[in-house]
Amino acid sequence: MKLWPWRGRRAAREQELNREIEWHLNEIREEREAEGLSRRQADHAARREFGNVAIVQEDSRAVWGWTMVDQFGQDLRYAFRTMKGNRLFTALAVLSLALGIGANTAIYSFMDAILLRALPVSDPESLVVLRWHAKPIQRGSFVMHAMSGSTFGDPKSGTTSGIFPFPAFELIAKDTPVFSSVFAYHPARELNVNVNGQADLARGEYVSGDYFRGLAVAPAAGRPISPDDDRAGAPPVAMVSFTYSQRRFGGAASAAGQSILINNIPFVVAGVTPPGFFGVDPAAAPDVYLPMHSDLVVETANQFGARGQNYLDQNYYWIEVMGRLRPGVSILQALARLAPPFHHWVASTAHTDGERANLPELKMEPGAAGLDSLRRQYSKPLYVLMTLVGLILAIACANVANLLLARAAARRREIALRLSVGAGRSRVVRQLLTESVLLASVGGILGIFVAMWGIRFLTLLLGNGKTNFTLHADLNWHVLGVAIALSLLTGVLFGLAPAIQSTRVNVISAMKETRTGEHGLRHSFWQFSLSQVLVVGQIALSLLMLVAAGLFVRTLSNLQSAELGFNRENVLLFELNARQAGHKGPEIAAFYADLLRKFRAIPDVRDASLSNYALVEAGWSVGIEIAGKETDIGNRMLAVGPGFFRTMQIPMIAGREIDEHDQLGALSVAVVSELFARTNFGDQSPLGQHITIKGRVNGHPASREMQVVGVARNAWYGPLKQAVPPVLYIAYNQGFPEPGQMTYELRVKGDPLRMVSAVREIVHESDALVPLANIKTQAAEIDQTINQEIVFAELCTDFAILALVIACVGLYGTVSYNVARRTGEIGVRMALGAPRGNVVGMILRQVIVMTIIGLAIGVPVALGASKLVESLLFGMKANDPWALGGAITILLSSAVLAGYAPARRASRIDPMIALRHE
Amino acid sequence: MPKPDSNRIALMQGTLDMLVLRSLLLGPAHGHAIVKLIQQLSDEALQVDHGSLYPALNRLLKQRWIAANWEQMPDKNRQARYYRLTSAGRKQLTAEESKWERLAQAIAKVMKRRPEEV
Repeated sequence: MKLWPWRGRRAAREQELNREIEWHLNEIREEREAEGLSRRQADHAARREFGNVAIVQEDSRAVWGWTMVDQFGQDLRYAFRTMKGNRLFTALAVLSLALGIGANTAIYSFMDAILLRALPVSDPESLVVLRWHAKPIQRGSFVMHAMSGSTFGDPKSGTTSGIFPFPAFELIAKDTPVFSSVFAYHPARELNVNVNGQADLARGEYVSGDYFRGLAVAPAAGRPISPDDDRAGAPPVAMVSFTYSQRRFGGAASAAGQSILINNIPFVVAGVTPPGFFGVDPAAAPDVYLPMHSDLVVETANQFGARGQNYLDQNYYWIEVMGRLRPGVSILQALARLAPPFHHWVASTAHTDGERANLPELKMEPGAAGLDSLRRQYSKPLYVLMTLVGLILAIACANVANLLLARAAARRREIALRLSVGAGRSRVVRQLLTESVLLASVGGILGIFVAMWGIRFLTLLLGNGKTNFTLHADLNWHVLGVAIALSLLTGVLFGLAPAIQSTRVNVISAMKETRTGEHGLRHSFWQFSLSQVLVVGQIALSLLMLVAAGLFVRTLSNLQSAELGFNRENVLLFELNARQAGHKGPEIAAFYADLLRKFRAIPDVRDASLSNYALVEAGWSVGIEIAGKETDIGNRMLAVGPGFFRTMQIPMIAGREIDEHDQLGALSVAVVSELFARTNFGDQSPLGQHITIKGRVNGHPASREMQVVGVARNAWYGPLKQAVPPVLYIAYNQGFPEPGQMTYELRVKGDPLRMVSAVREIVHESDALVPLANIKTQAAEIDQTINQEIVFAELCTDFAILALVIACVGLYGTVSYNVARRTGEIGVRMALGAPRGNVVGMILRQVIVMTIIGLAIGVPVALGASKLVESLLFGMKANDPWALGGAITILLSSAVLAGYAPARRASRIDPMIALRHE
Repeated sequence: MPKPDSNRIALMQGTLDMLVLRSLLLGPAHGHAIVKLIQQLSDEALQVDHGSLYPALNRLLKQRWIAANWEQMPDKNRQARYYRLTSAGRKQLTAEESKWERLAQAIAKVMKRRPEEV
């Protein structure tokens, strides 16, 4: 074996030494013979005089420092041999370690990407996000009269938000001692971007003039948007993202300087952002950046869009603000400096005592990681997943420990033998350690592959076909290191304990041991050994995982079987925005109606309609008045086209639905949902009642009075995890509000996606500048809204199965080992007439006792832990009896199954053969 | 193993290497000869254990203070492994000698003091 280069030299040296010792013995012998001793006597004398040849060899070898390397090689080879001898058990232990390490690394890599990574800009630590916080808001008595953006909070702690009126931004930006730059931004939603006659939708972001300077982002090509670009009437310029420049312009260099149309307004691409830059919100990743004030021209298409007065209105909250601290200024100093002027300003915007009683207070948060929308959405699920994979690693480590324990016990005789022939105690310990470390290392290396595969799988799972999925996770080497170190530690710990214990073996008594019974272990069926404790622990942990899987699977099935109130199958959805492409006034409704007629004529399209939002994505309202009184704020609206209820198969309870006769100029009509009728009209019949909707169009008050002509059964509206609100359905084409972006619904025969090319053709023929967006089936859209729950349920189920398998392997191993150890005893019992069933029962009883103890520990823990995830559940309580009962049943039956194989083997023991071992 | 002999002195730790170097100053020798040389030079007072001779020889080889070669024994039809000093070994021996002398004098001073002088 010429595996290592030094082996040749070493072998030569060894040979030389042996030859010399031989020679030396010969010399002494000859001398003694010359003194007159017989050959045999001389031989004895020589050996006596020379001393222990083996020790001389060993010590001389040690001088050259061979022993360590040499012994390590031996240990390694020996370890591989034992692993090969226990192929199944080793494979399972290594595999469970690999899965544990890999799963932990993959999940943590995502946590790192979502929760911990800093923005890819220079010196992100000096960035600060501005927010405000107020006590719980009483409707009608808060300085924020209108808003565009989001607030979050709960009735107890109050409301927090990152949106400010534009004058507040000016106030903060004016005060420069603490910030070197203050900049603002506001999402532009989807923009119609026309490059060389090709129209497409892009995600846009309005940014203030100092945005790119403040973030310290150098453009990949061209120049960034500057403060000069950000004023009313400036020549319209835009910046595009690096990936967008590649997708639409064929590269960053060719994008800069190009003329394009955005919502039909001519723009010039000033520059391209550097690769990797995604703005300030890891969840958003805009394609196009526009100067803030260009919304005045871009949003003319949007009747609710930006107006010049937005920039003056002190009670309209809409822009988000970030600042970069000057060197040496802390976030607290900045807050101390800016909070008083902000308070003073905001107090001046309050009109009533009620508003003055609850003024928003300025807050600042570190902005290094950007906005926290992703974090809010994913942090809890990720922590839960992290806990689950941590448990898997624990179960896997317990398995490795168990394997090593069983092996050490099985090798008591072997070790005793090796000690008795003079092996050094430390040498034996080292040998056993080598094995456990090898086991952990192989597991660790496989773990790397599992982690890489896991990250790809998770990206796919979380992305779920979303085109704007921006999350990108890299293999996190720190975590991988920690996970491998953990498994190594397990290996060393559990390799070491039995190793040391086994070297304390009383050599003589261990050698005398037979298979019948080992001293001190004879009654260990009923006394818990360490390995049994480990199995009990594994069962308890597996129960936790199974309960988690049960809860999330039930949540998913509750969501999937939620009474939608409409038929989700065979419906194609897609969005169009003719307004952004230049259609205006009454013509736009005619354009949409014409398209609808053409869609209905496609073969296999049974019904078609349109609405301003898809049902599960809706969440819209303007002011609603009934009999001159404003109704509850919880009411929601949907603008729908003719045949909407027929198309979605929402049954009408009374009256009629909106149809082709409900045109502009005809009587304005509306349909209400059952819940809307009950909450707003009580016992009265809603039919014939009058409802007025009020709002502002282009800054001017607008309203529309409608008559209720029908009542529809409740249908799902908005996200699935929220309760269905009372809904007012209005005809989309009868005046205020005028149709903007619309979603078409096509109910078809067969697979809805078959219709896509026909739909594209029709839209292209009607107006090539109107792009189709978000084409998907209704079923897929629902799946997408509950994607997080689907991913969760899938992962938890996978993890639970994994945990169960690993725990069963542990159980199987422990029981088989006990059976093997007690072969003799079982043989005696059977020789004395114990029936086979008795033997099986005896062994299964042990399995069941271990399982029940594991369950007794696991159930209370599971009940407590499930409360922590209550907010992630839907349609059930935390201590769901089905999830718990299911988990217990699965665990018990798997445990019995895992124990049955060795039990059966025990009952097949031939007493004659077993006893012959004596 | 040789029986403990009251006339013989067990070697102090580390001195064997020096003695081996010293014995090789007389010329190349094989292992058996080295043992005998040390015994003779010490008037049979020092006992060299074979078990420690070979590790010592290997230590010196590793340091390259001695070199070894299998050569024909003059009076026998057999080869023996002959060790000889290298120039590095000679230097080392000088260093060891002066170190040893200082140590021996120091020990002698301590040991020869009469009790009243302490």
